[in-house]
Amino acid sequence: MFTLRVDKVIRHNERYSTIFFEKELKSFPGQFVMLNIFDLEEIPLSLSSPQSVTVKAVGETTRYLIKIKPGERVGIKGPIGNPFSPAKGKVLMIAGGIGVAPLAYLYDFLQKCRVKVKVLYAVRSSDDLVLKERFEKARMRIITEDGSEGEKGNIFDLVYSEDVEEYDKIYICGPEVVMRGIHSYFKELGILNKTEFSLDRYMKCGIGICGSCVIGNGMRVCVEGPVFRGDEIVW
Amino acid sequence: MKNKERSEEELLKVEVAGIRMKNPLILASGVLGSYASSLNRISKNAGAVVSKSIGIDEIEGYKNPTIINYPHGIINAIGLSSPGAKRFYEELKRYKGDAPLIVSIVSTSPEGFAEVVKHFPIASAFELNLSCPHVKNFGLSLGSNPKVVREVVKSVKKVTKKPVFVKLSPNVEDIVTIGKSAERAGADGVVAINTLRGMAIDIYMRKPILSNISGGVSGEGIKPIALKCVWDLYEELNIPIIGAGGITTWKDVIEFLLAGASAVQIGSAFYYSHRYFYSIKESLIAYARWKDENLSEIIGKAHQ
Repeated sequence: MFTLRVDKVIRHNERYSTIFFEKELKSFPGQFVMLNIFDLEEIPLSLSSPQSVTVKAVGETTRYLIKIKPGERVGIKGPIGNPFSPAKGKVLMIAGGIGVAPLAYLYDFLQKCRVKVKVLYAVRSSDDLVLKERFEKARMRIITEDGSEGEKGNIFDLVYSEDVEEYDKIYICGPEVVMRGIHSYFKELGILNKTEFSLDRYMKCGIGICGSCVIGNGMRVCVEGPVFRGDEIVW
Repeated sequence: MKNKERSEEELLKVEVAGIRMKNPLILASGVLGSYASSLNRISKNAGAVVSKSIGIDEIEGYKNPTIINYPHGIINAIGLSSPGAKRFYEELKRYKGDAPLIVSIVSTSPEGFAEVVKHFPIASAFELNLSCPHVKNFGLSLGSNPKVVREVVKSVKKVTKKPVFVKLSPNVEDIVTIGKSAERAGADGVVAINTLRGMAIDIYMRKPILSNISGGVSGEGIKPIALKCVWDLYEELNIPIIGAGGITTWKDVIEFLLAGASAVQIGSAFYYSHRYFYSIKESLIAYARWKDENLSEIIGKAHQ
């Protein structure tokens, strides 16, 4: 583990911030870091760019983190894990809530790959749409549960109404219940081999030894994941 | 017999206290052992697997950071976090692995150990954790006292006919005294060693990194210490010794066997790859063929 100074904090709103570190981490989209706030806790966070994490306040540590001041230091283990793989042709990204963070990094990365990206971005309310500007050239469909922006409904309304078979690659990141639902839908369609899911599990070590984050086939989210091809996943 | 005629199976197999293992490589407790899915996966190339230490009640454990790596190994203070015996039994029932399952037990009293053991009829053997260095009233708090070790082993032996191993700590005055006390009380083997007490401080924050301040050191850095413990125990004990502590390469495995270990446990090395047992196993086959000897024949050979 090492420490990095916080360079800049963009406070999106009351519950969300993007925190920039003093330097870039040599990383690939989909990778994450174990970020330690001394005296609070160490938590896994996806990189939203080589130099940042985007955080939603949900617990004690994240509530502190969104208010962190430039100049403060955080502990970093990482970057850790298997990244997304690149794509060609037509790409679909499905983001649920803060699951948008690694997809924003992936979107930047894929700009070198001459892909056509479409984004399905589902959240509770317009407040939660924190990284939509990052997908500037992409076609985007937004859906909110309360109808405060874009269409009204949930992520499944977006996915079911999209012709998913026309895409060369589909990337998904969101809450586990959502991903399980989408996974079983894609399984029915027989297209799991062109999908990549970024999983989130309770983690302790982040280096593949404690075994807290294993999925149904014994694969470790922190090392063999967090990005798995759809057909590798046993929930 | 010429080496070509020996099968891989023959070259690698060992037996420890009546437990037949296809090779001497055992998954150490606390590593990848909290879920059946994980144990199933590791068991494919393992001689045996040890599950995460389990007590009668749920234990929450410490806050993260609980594990850190440093250049010569790993320091952990997980705090024995576990779901409690009943729930863990439900989990372990799904163990369908290709290797004997050893269940690691923690408790705060001799009777407590026996109580937990009764919950796991599926175990092939039990390992008594009398050596975890970072949880008060558990592990080393009991394991540093030879009398308490004797009481615990006796209490457990009363309720099970399966082999009982005692995992020893190097953070005691004399590990051999503790080992002998376990042997006299009827233990079927000892496991040496558990982690050593240690810590790390971040020099920018000027604070300990682990939330518990200190933890147990494992990994490559502790191998010479573990090897010496196995050596000393082999000189004095008649029951089998399972070597553990920093074993990372196939050469380390051979060293421990030569020092007197009948089998070895590997944990921290899984940091490098989950296919660790597979690759070490392949190297051990090559070594055994080259030497034209079964691995079981070299145990303790460095003492002669």
